Amino acid sequence: MANFLVWVVWFFAAFACLASALAVVSFSNPFYSALALIGNLASLAVLYLVLSGEFVAAGQVLVYGGAVMVMFLFVIAYLGDRTDESPWSGGPSWQIVGAILAGGAILAEVCVVVGLKAGGLLSKPQHIGRSFGSPEALGRAFLTDHLLAFEVTSIVLLVAAVGGVVLGSHARQESDARA
Amino acid sequence: MHGPEIQWYVVLSGMLFATGALGVMLRRNPLIILLSVEIMLNSANLLLIAMSRLRGGEDGQIFAISVMAVAASEVVVGLGLIVAMGRRNVELDVDKLRTLRG
Amino acid sequence: MATASWVCLLLPLASAIAITAAGTAIPRRIAAYVSTLTTMGAFVAAIVAFADMAGKSAPHRGAATTSWTWLSAGPYHFGLTLLTDQLSIVMMLIVTGVGSLIVAYSVGYMDGEDEERRFFAYMSLFVFSMLLLVQGGNLLLLLAGWGMVGLSSYLLIGYYQERESAIKAAKKAFVMNAFGDATMALALFLLIQHTGKLDYAGVFAGSPHGGAVANLIALGLLGGAVAKSAQIPLHTWLPDAMEGPTPVSALIHAATMVTAGVYLIVRCHPLFENAYVIADLAAGLGAATLLMAGLIALVQTDIKRVIAYSTMSQIGYMFVGAGLGAYPNAMFHLMTHAFFKGLLFLAAGIAIHAVVGEQDIRKLAGVGKLMPFTKWVFLAGSLALVGIFPFAGFFSKDAIIAAALDRGWYGDVIYAACLAGAFLTGIYAFRLFFIVFTGEPSAFAREHFHAHHGQEGPISMLWTVGALGVLSVVGGLLQFAPIWHPLTTWLDPVDHPIAEATSTQEWVTSALAILIGLAGIGVAWTMYGAKRIKVPRAVPLFEKKFYWDELYDVIWYRMGDLVARGFYALVEAPLIGGSIAAVTGVVGLGSRELSVAQNGLVRSYVLALAGGLAVLTVVFLAVR
Repeated sequence: MANFLVWVVWFFAAFACLASALAVVSFSNPFYSALALIGNLASLAVLYLVLSGEFVAAGQVLVYGGAVMVMFLFVIAYLGDRTDESPWSGGPSWQIVGAILAGGAILAEVCVVVGLKAGGLLSKPQHIGRSFGSPEALGRAFLTDHLLAFEVTSIVLLVAAVGGVVLGSHARQESDARA
Repeated sequence: MHGPEIQWYVVLSGMLFATGALGVMLRRNPLIILLSVEIMLNSANLLLIAMSRLRGGEDGQIFAISVMAVAASEVVVGLGLIVAMGRRNVELDVDKLRTLRG
Repeated sequence: MATASWVCLLLPLASAIAITAAGTAIPRRIAAYVSTLTTMGAFVAAIVAFADMAGKSAPHRGAATTSWTWLSAGPYHFGLTLLTDQLSIVMMLIVTGVGSLIVAYSVGYMDGEDEERRFFAYMSLFVFSMLLLVQGGNLLLLLAGWGMVGLSSYLLIGYYQERESAIKAAKKAFVMNAFGDATMALALFLLIQHTGKLDYAGVFAGSPHGGAVANLIALGLLGGAVAKSAQIPLHTWLPDAMEGPTPVSALIHAATMVTAGVYLIVRCHPLFENAYVIADLAAGLGAATLLMAGLIALVQTDIKRVIAYSTMSQIGYMFVGAGLGAYPNAMFHLMTHAFFKGLLFLAAGIAIHAVVGEQDIRKLAGVGKLMPFTKWVFLAGSLALVGIFPFAGFFSKDAIIAAALDRGWYGDVIYAACLAGAFLTGIYAFRLFFIVFTGEPSAFAREHFHAHHGQEGPISMLWTVGALGVLSVVGGLLQFAPIWHPLTTWLDPVDHPIAEATSTQEWVTSALAILIGLAGIGVAWTMYGAKRIKVPRAVPLFEKKFYWDELYDVIWYRMGDLVARGFYALVEAPLIGGSIAAVTGVVGLGSRELSVAQNGLVRSYVLALAGGLAVLTVVFLAVR
C-alpha cells in the first residue's frame, strides 16, 4: 500500500516536472517561463523527498526557489517585457531539426550509457538507515570526507558575489555618466 | 527503495536534460537560455541523488549540494551580464550577437 | 724521380692557390712572376725526373706512385696515382717547357691589364690540370684532369668578361667539351663493368678484344678526344676560342690542351687496337679535318683564326698518326707542333700587341716591314709548319704521312689526303705570311703601330719567341725516322707502333712532301707575294666554315628550343603550374565552404556542441 502511494506521488511529481520543463522552453513570455521553472524546482524537491534526501530537498527549495528564482524574477521584471518569438514561429529550419535530433540522441544515449555501464549495480538498491540524508549525516560527510569540496564551493560563492558586485557597479557608473 | 526503480529516474533525468538542451539550442532570449541551463543542472542533480539512494552513500547528495551552490553562482554572473546588456540597450537576442562571425 | 714528379705536378697548383688566396694584396707583377717561376720550376722538376728515368734501363723506367686511395666503393678502389713513364715524361716536358715559355711571354703581353692576377692564377691552374691529365695513373685521374683543363679553357677564353662574344665562345667550348666528357665517362663505365679497374695496366689487360663492347669503349674515348682536340664533328669551338688572349690561344689551343686527345689515344692504344674500326675512324676523321680546316684557312681574314684552323689541321695529322698506329710519330709531331704553333701564335701576338690589338690581316698588312724580328721568326714558324727541310715540321709530319702507307688501301687514301693537306698548308701559311709580313704597310698599320720603348715588344715577349724560334728550327732534328729515331726507341716499351714505313717510303714521302709544300708556297707567292695573279673570290662554302655552325644551330639549338617549348606548354604549365594552382584552389574552396559553419550565431555553435557530444558518445561506446 505504501509503495502504491509512493508510485502515485512519483508519477504526479514526474509529470509536473516534465510539463513545467516543457513550459519553460516553450513560453514566449520570459516571466511565465520563470514561473514554470519554479514549478519544476518544486516537483524536483518532491522527488528528492521520495528518495530520502530530506536535507537536499530543503536546500533545493530554499536556494533555488528562494534565492535563484527570486533573482530571476527581479531581473525579468527590471528588464521589462521583452517578448521573444517562439522558436518554431519561423517554420521548420535546420536549427530546429538538428536540435530535436541532437536532444533525442542525447536522451537515448544517457539511457543506454547508464544501462550499459552501470552493469549489475543497478539491480540492487542498498538498505539505508534512518539517518540517511539527514543534516547530521550530510554535515559529517561535508566536514570529514568532502572538506575540500566544501571549502572550494565557498570560494566559488565568494567569487560569484564579488563578480556580481563588479558587474553591477560598472553598470551604475555607466548610467551615472550618461545621466 | 520505495517507488520506482532506478531506471525510471534515469529516463526522467534524461528527458529533463534533453528538454533543457532543446531550450538552449532553440531559444533566442538569453534569460530563457539561462533558465534552460538551470533545468539541465537540475536533471543532473536528480540523477545524482537517485544514485546516492541506490548505493546507500551520501556522496551523491554532497555532490548535488555543491552543484546547487555553483549553479547559484553562475546565475549571479549570468544575470549580471544580462542586466549590463539591458542597461546598454543591447537587444536581448543571441542571434544579434554575431561579431565572432568567421 | 717520384718526388720530382709530385713537385712538378703540385708547383703550379700551389701557385694558383697562392695567387687566388693573396687576392689584391700582392701587386700584379708579383702574381705574374709567381706563375712564371713556378711553371719554370715544374719544368726543372720534369727535367730532373727525366734525367733520373734516363739513367735507368728501358724496362724499369716507368713508375707509378700512389699517395692515397682516392675513391673506394665496394670492390672498386681508385688511388691518387701518378704514373711517370716514358710517354708521360715526354708530355710533362712539353707542357712545362713550352708552358713556361708562354707564361713568361704573357708577363709582357698582359702587362697593364686590370685583371692580371686572375689571368695568371688561371694559367697556373691550367698547367696543373694538364699535368694531372698526363701524369694520372688511372683513367679516373685522367678524366679529372680532362675536366679541369676544360674548365681552365672556359675561364681563360672568357677572360675578357665584358665582351659578349668572349662569353659565348667560352660557353660554346665548354658545352662541346662536356659532350666529349660524357662519352668518355660512358666509356669508363663500360670499362669498370668489364674489368673492374681503371688503372692503365688493369684496363689494358682486362678489356675485351674486339666485339661491340670494345668498339663502344673506344668510341667513347674517341668522342672525348675529338671534342678536346677539335676534330670533326666537334670542332666548331676552336675558332671561336680565339676570343681569349693570344698566350691562351698559344698554350691551350695550340700547344697542349688540344693535343690531349692525341695523348689519350696514344696512351690507351691497346683499347684502340682492340677496336680497329674505331682507330680507323679516328684516322679518317683526322684526314677529313685536316682537309676541311686547310680549305677554310684559305679564306679567313683574322690572323688568329687562320692559325687556329691550322692547328685543327695539324691535329688532324696527329690523329691520322695515332689512329693508324704510328704512335711515336704522332707524339713527335705533337712536340714539334707545340714549338712552331706556339711560335706562330706568339709572333702574331707581338704584331697584335703592337697595332692596338687589331687582328684583321687586311689592316695588319705589311707590318713586317716595321717589325723585322717578328717577321723572321714568323717565317721560321711558317716553314716549320709547311714542313720544309730542315725545320721541325718536316721531320715529324712526313713520318706520319709515310706511316700511312703501311695500312693497306685505306692508308693509301689517307696518304693522298695528307699530301693534299700539305699543299693547302703551304698556301694558307704563306698567304698569311705574305700578306701580313711582306709588302708595304697598310695605312692602318702605319698609323696605329707603336713600338715599345724602341723595341717591337716587351723583352719578355721577344726572348720567349726567340727561344721557340730556335726550337722550331732545331727541334725536328731529334728524330729522322730512316736514320736515327731516339724518340721511337724511348717510347717503345709504352707505345709500340703498329704502323711503320720502310726507309724507301720515308725518303720518297719526304721528297714528295717538300715538293708539294714548295708548290703551295709558290702559289701563295704568286697570288699574295708578287701579286701576279688576281686572288680568286672566296668560296662561300669555305667562308662559312662548311656551314657546321648553322647545322648545329638547327639540330641542337632549334630542336632543343622546340622540345623545351613543347614541354612547357604540355607539362609545365598545365601539370606543374596547374597542380600548384589546384592546391591553392582546393584550399581556398575548402576554406570558403567551411567558413559557412562559422556564422557567429551562438545557437548554431551550441547545436554543434550537442551534436558532437551525441556522436562522440556513440563513438566511445562503440570503441570501448
